[in-house]
Amino acid sequence: MNLEADPTSFLAQRPYAAAPGASRDAASVRRNLIGFELRPSLRTKLLMAFLLIEVLLVSVGVIGLLSLREADQRANQIVALQHKIEAYRQMQHDTLRQLYGVSTALEFADETTLAIALRQINQFGYDLDRVSFVAKDEVALLNQVREEYGRFIAVVSNIVDLIRSGRTAEAKRSERAELGPLADKLERLTNQLVNRAEADMVAGIDTSRQTYAKSLILVAAVALASLVLTLVLGHAISRSVINPVGIIHDGLNRLAAGDFSQRIEVPNHDELGELAAHVNSTSEELQQLYQRLEEASRHKSQFLANMSHELRTPLNAILGFSELLLDGIYGEPSEKMRSAVERIQRNGKHLLGLINDVLDLSKIEAGQLRLSLADYSVEELVNGVYTSVESLAAEKKLDLKIAVPVGLPPARGDERRLAQALLNLVGNAIKFTDAGEVRIEVEAKGASLKFSVHDTGPGIDEPDQAKIFQEFQQVDNSITKAKGGAGLGLAIAQRIVEMHGGRIWIESRLNHGATFSFLVPARLEQEAKQT
Amino acid sequence: MSKRVLVVEDQEDNRQILRDLLANVGYEMIEAENGEEALTAARTQLPDLILMDIQLPVLDGYEATRRIKAQPDLRHIPIIVVTSYALSGDEEKARAAGCDAYVSKPYSARKLLETINQYLT
Repeated sequence: MNLEADPTSFLAQRPYAAAPGASRDAASVRRNLIGFELRPSLRTKLLMAFLLIEVLLVSVGVIGLLSLREADQRANQIVALQHKIEAYRQMQHDTLRQLYGVSTALEFADETTLAIALRQINQFGYDLDRVSFVAKDEVALLNQVREEYGRFIAVVSNIVDLIRSGRTAEAKRSERAELGPLADKLERLTNQLVNRAEADMVAGIDTSRQTYAKSLILVAAVALASLVLTLVLGHAISRSVINPVGIIHDGLNRLAAGDFSQRIEVPNHDELGELAAHVNSTSEELQQLYQRLEEASRHKSQFLANMSHELRTPLNAILGFSELLLDGIYGEPSEKMRSAVERIQRNGKHLLGLINDVLDLSKIEAGQLRLSLADYSVEELVNGVYTSVESLAAEKKLDLKIAVPVGLPPARGDERRLAQALLNLVGNAIKFTDAGEVRIEVEAKGASLKFSVHDTGPGIDEPDQAKIFQEFQQVDNSITKAKGGAGLGLAIAQRIVEMHGGRIWIESRLNHGATFSFLVPARLEQEAKQT
Repeated sequence: MSKRVLVVEDQEDNRQILRDLLANVGYEMIEAENGEEALTAARTQLPDLILMDIQLPVLDGYEATRRIKAQPDLRHIPIIVVTSYALSGDEEKARAAGCDAYVSKPYSARKLLETINQYLT
């Protein structure tokens, strides 16, 4: 809300109202200057933070999965190498058996042995097929093996043919001269294959071990980084939320305590910044409202003070002339005239009392009334009150009693105001009591004095008891209506007692009389702070 | 020779009351309606006592009292200040201005006369 723009605003023309507006303008200029700055809302901030955390979690997962896949691939490679080695060994084994079969055939030269040797040749063919299947990467060596093997088969077939045709010696020669070296070569070749595969396997196992260590470090590092980042992020977010909330909380507390002048500074450009701005504008409005109220209250008090002065001036003349008339300055008045003038005087004094009450109350409320503290005698105070109401009680045929302990030390306070408070209580008691007694009592209670006024009047019902201390409040019934009065006496008495740092209360039951009491410090050195 | 009292009071009705009261006991009354007139009257007429109201036009009662008390040849004249009940601290201010006695409104004519007599006999 922009109060400056509101021409009907009461404070719009006031210079001090311009100050907060000016600072607000400066702030908006500053904001415009840094218009490109990122100003994410709280929702965006939180969303971004959670998004980032999710991204981190997903990356940790992806990195883990990738490492797992690599490990799986390595395991498969090792299994493949194992198959290769097995096949190579099978081949070697079969080559040896082949040699053995041929040797045996040469030894016995029967058809059965020859058939076995030939079947073994076939078996060797299978081995070769299997090897070429599991070791597709070893083409060159395998081709060599195949070539050598082709020769080997040719030699074996030749030898078998030689044995069948009975040329055993020739076969033996061929076996020794050709088959042996071929078998050796084959074995060397397959050994080469096995060695290579084994070396591959060792290397594979080594690599996979290294890869595992690397993945472990990578995953752990990413997880740790995520953890740190999340903590930092959480801290930053909570700082950007908790700090402003704390500041706003303090600001609201000050506001609740009635300090409207403070403005809270929250650097946030998000919802909390907005909230702080709201709190500031609210406290500004409250401040202006409060100033207006204070001013209105001051005007009211000033008006009452002026008014009662204006009212009193003619009243002084009325009372002055009445007194001169009664004193016989203008000649001795007749009995009838005296009675009439006495009525003028009595009513004038009553009116004066009411005006003084209004004035007292307005002075107290405006904080203009100060206690003048001095030593006083409790007994004299009570006697003074007694003297001034004695005739009133006598008129109503009430029994007016006082009970003050003997030998009370001098008390300290505003004697005139305390007497006024006590007088108001006694005056009320006499006014509302039609028969019986009114008793003024003083008790010393430690460092306090308790003044009480008992009466045998109509009493006050409990629900009404709290109301009667408010100004202009009287218990609304026919009895009080008949008694008149402005209802200011108790309010004034209460203010006076409170200024002394004391308290006032009533104990009463309907139709069983009432006791008004107040407790004040026996020796008041400093006026109580007004609330 | 009858005693002369300077009454400084802007309200005609109040002056009339004092006129009647003082005439009744045989005092002569000199009148002034504001502080300036009071200063002139005090200097020219040299009254035996001054009854000074506080709320006066032109020059208020405090200032008039202060100026009279500042003059050596007028300093001896007793001044009774009449203050209004309206403002607290009036008594202190009146004393500070140099008045001899202090009566607060509304005063009883009889009591005022008693105070005046204290200074004139």
